[in-house]
Amino acid sequence: MRLAYIALFAFSLFASVTLQAQESPYFVTYDHHLEEPGNLEIETSSTVGVPRAGQHWFFAPYLELEYGVTGRWTSELYLEGQSTAGDSTIFTGWRIENRFRPLAREHWINPVLYLEYENINEASRIRKEIVGAAPELNESNAELRATRAHELETRLILSSTAHDWNISENFIVEKNLSENEGFEFGYALAVARPLATLASGKNCRFCRENFIAGVELYGGLGTTQGFGLHDTAHYAAPAISWQISDNTSLRFSPAIGLTHGSSPALLRLGYSYEIRGFSTKLARLFGAKP
Amino acid sequence: MRCWILSAIFGLVSIMLAQNSAYQPDPNWRVPQDAAMKPNPLARKPDAAAGGKKLFLRNCTECHGQDGSGLVKKHAADLQLPVVQNQSDGTLFWKITNGNPDRGMPSFSKLPEPQRWQLVLFIRKLKPEN
Repeated sequence: MRLAYIALFAFSLFASVTLQAQESPYFVTYDHHLEEPGNLEIETSSTVGVPRAGQHWFFAPYLELEYGVTGRWTSELYLEGQSTAGDSTIFTGWRIENRFRPLAREHWINPVLYLEYENINEASRIRKEIVGAAPELNESNAELRATRAHELETRLILSSTAHDWNISENFIVEKNLSENEGFEFGYALAVARPLATLASGKNCRFCRENFIAGVELYGGLGTTQGFGLHDTAHYAAPAISWQISDNTSLRFSPAIGLTHGSSPALLRLGYSYEIRGFSTKLARLFGAKP
Repeated sequence: MRCWILSAIFGLVSIMLAQNSAYQPDPNWRVPQDAAMKPNPLARKPDAAAGGKKLFLRNCTECHGQDGSGLVKKHAADLQLPVVQNQSDGTLFWKITNGNPDRGMPSFSKLPEPQRWQLVLFIRKLKPEN
């Protein structure tokens, strides 16, 4: 079975099927680039949490399906789980996310509106956003999974391109509809740049143009009941993405916890596979003429 | 029940594709004058067009086809036509950068600026097959 997984990974690493532009290296921050209309991106990512004394390692994988509905609207579905060392492995819920670009053209600052509904439980650990106060990591999965959370998350995404650098700022507001705990706030800031800006004429896997490096800074800003930095989690995270083939990419980011409320480190790894012209392929499958 | 679901999916996809009629240039897709005047900084590096070809195959063939003639179902422009080739380098660069999202052309600002200029170099090499 393990051999099958290794073979599958090796195949996807070296397979070259269809074609796609480079992926951002960010895990938490969003920039203004949406999915191309009709394309479907399938991504598996995971967050590994390095524990403090008295806590346990956790592994939180999630599957992400991202579809470009139009040139200005991208929709995503997330399925997530979590496994804690010495505890259990559980399904922690699902999310539906939508991003809209209100402005058609490129501007100095490009705003994107973000709305996400989360149907998760309190054991969720994927850390796709850091909001509110620092999380409690000492409770067992059995206790945490019993508490469901219906949450709405909104973001104002601002993103710019300057001399081939991407600079992105996200301002996050989240509301747990299941609890009367006010609004939670967070932020995510990031910069990134390709290692080479000119494309070489040859097909190469390890060319510098296939790598984008950057750094993210993200954390919570408290709630309406206690706004500020007190007892919040913050991370600084170098990040790199590698365009392995024309439709597959790999991302890695080791995030370092900056406050006592943070985990000492979060290790993030993501692998994405792009299906270009997904809607057309689906239509052909159901008999539409090419 | 299964048949009903398949029909619903097919109907939905058909609606999505029904908008793909013959391509019509968008008269509202106007390029600012200063952007149209920009020269291609790679004009004296014709070798960079090879990289442009690679980028074109990666990013453009899904709608414009490998020869740039454009797929009717995608409303995509035939890049070999004089109406495209007569546009300035700056105009093509601006259109690649900004896209025309309401007409299906995505923005490619995620590509570094030199790579967008490489695309312009390669588009200049697209010629109709006799």
